[in-house]
Amino acid sequence: MNRYHVFAMFLSVLVLSGCISHPQTAEEFRKAVPAAFSAKVETFEVNRPFSQVASTFQKMGPNCLAKTIKTTSQTNMSYQVIVTTYKPTVVVTGKKAELHVQQHHEQGVLNVSKEPDGGYYLLVADAQPVTQTKTRIDLYRPSIGHGVLIQAVKNWATGENIGCPDLTK
Amino acid sequence: MNRSVWSPLDIGRIAFIVLLVCTASFLAGCFGSKTYPNTLEKNLHVHTATDSGSWFSHVRAAVDIHRVGEDCALDYEGTVQLADPKIDIGIPPHRWSYLVFVFANSSFLANRSGTITYETLLKARPNYHYEIAVRYRDDMYHVGIRETLPNQSTGREIEPLELSACRSSTGRK
Repeated sequence: MNRYHVFAMFLSVLVLSGCISHPQTAEEFRKAVPAAFSAKVETFEVNRPFSQVASTFQKMGPNCLAKTIKTTSQTNMSYQVIVTTYKPTVVVTGKKAELHVQQHHEQGVLNVSKEPDGGYYLLVADAQPVTQTKTRIDLYRPSIGHGVLIQAVKNWATGENIGCPDLTK
Repeated sequence: MNRSVWSPLDIGRIAFIVLLVCTASFLAGCFGSKTYPNTLEKNLHVHTATDSGSWFSHVRAAVDIHRVGEDCALDYEGTVQLADPKIDIGIPPHRWSYLVFVFANSSFLANRSGTITYETLLKARPNYHYEIAVRYRDDMYHVGIRETLPNQSTGREIEPLELSACRSSTGRK
C-alpha cells in the first residue's frame, strides 16, 4: 500500500462517511458503491462454468487474502508504517458465489467512521451462472487504487493467470 | 582560525555513534534472520522465477523454515534465500515443518518496501520429493507444491495447510 492507496482510502472514507454511514454489510456495500465517488460496479461474463468460478473463489480467497500486510514508506521528512489485515469471506449457494474482501488497518491509518466487524468492505464479487459454460460476474470495487487485487479476482473468475495478489502494491 | 580538527566533545560523540552502530549490528545478528543449515538429504526442489516488472523496484524471494513442535509451537530454524532459479533444500521427513515463503519488494524511487508471505505446513514423507514452483510476476505470486516419488514426473498437488490444522489434529489426540 502506498501513499496513493492511503489517499484513496481517505477519500472513500471521507465521501462515504460524509454522506451516508459506512457500509456495515456486503449488501449495504453493493448499494453504496454505484453512488460512491471512489468505487464502481463492473459487470462481465466469463467463459467458465459457475462451479469452477465458485471453486476458485473458495480456494484462492482464503489462501491469498487472509493476510496481514506491513508496508513502510520513507521520505526525508517522514517515516510511515501501515499494517493492514485483510479478511476474505466466500459464500457459495446453488445459484450464487460471493467473495467479500474487508480490510482493517491495525496501524498507520486513522478510521473516521464506524468500522464493521472484520474491517471496511473493500470489494465484493458476485458470480452467477448464465449458461452451463458462462458465468456472470458483478464486481463492486474501488475505482482508485487496489488494481492488483481487482486483477487477481478477475483472473480467478476467468481462470487465466491464477495467482495471489501482492497486497503490498 | 587555528582550530583543532577534533575536539574532545567530537571524539566523544563519534565514539558514541560507533558504539551505537556496533550494538545495532550485534542485535541484528542476534535477532535477525539466520541461514538455514540445509545439511539434510535434499527433498525440496525449489524453482524460483521473480520479476518485479519495473527497473525501479526489486523483489526478493526466500523461504523461512520452522520446526513444528508437538504442541504446534514454531521453532525458527533458518532462512534460505531463493536467489537462484533452482535450489535444493533438505527438511526432515516424518515430522511437520512450517514453510513461510517470503516475497520482499522494495521500490527505489518511492522509498517504499513491503513483504507478503505464503505459509504452509508440510510433513515430508520419506523417499518422496517435493517440486516447489515459486513465481512472482506482474505483482502476482504463486507457490505450488507437487509431491513426487523419485524418477516419476507425475505426482499430486499439495494444498496449503494452515498452522491451525496442526492444532486441531493435536487437539483430537
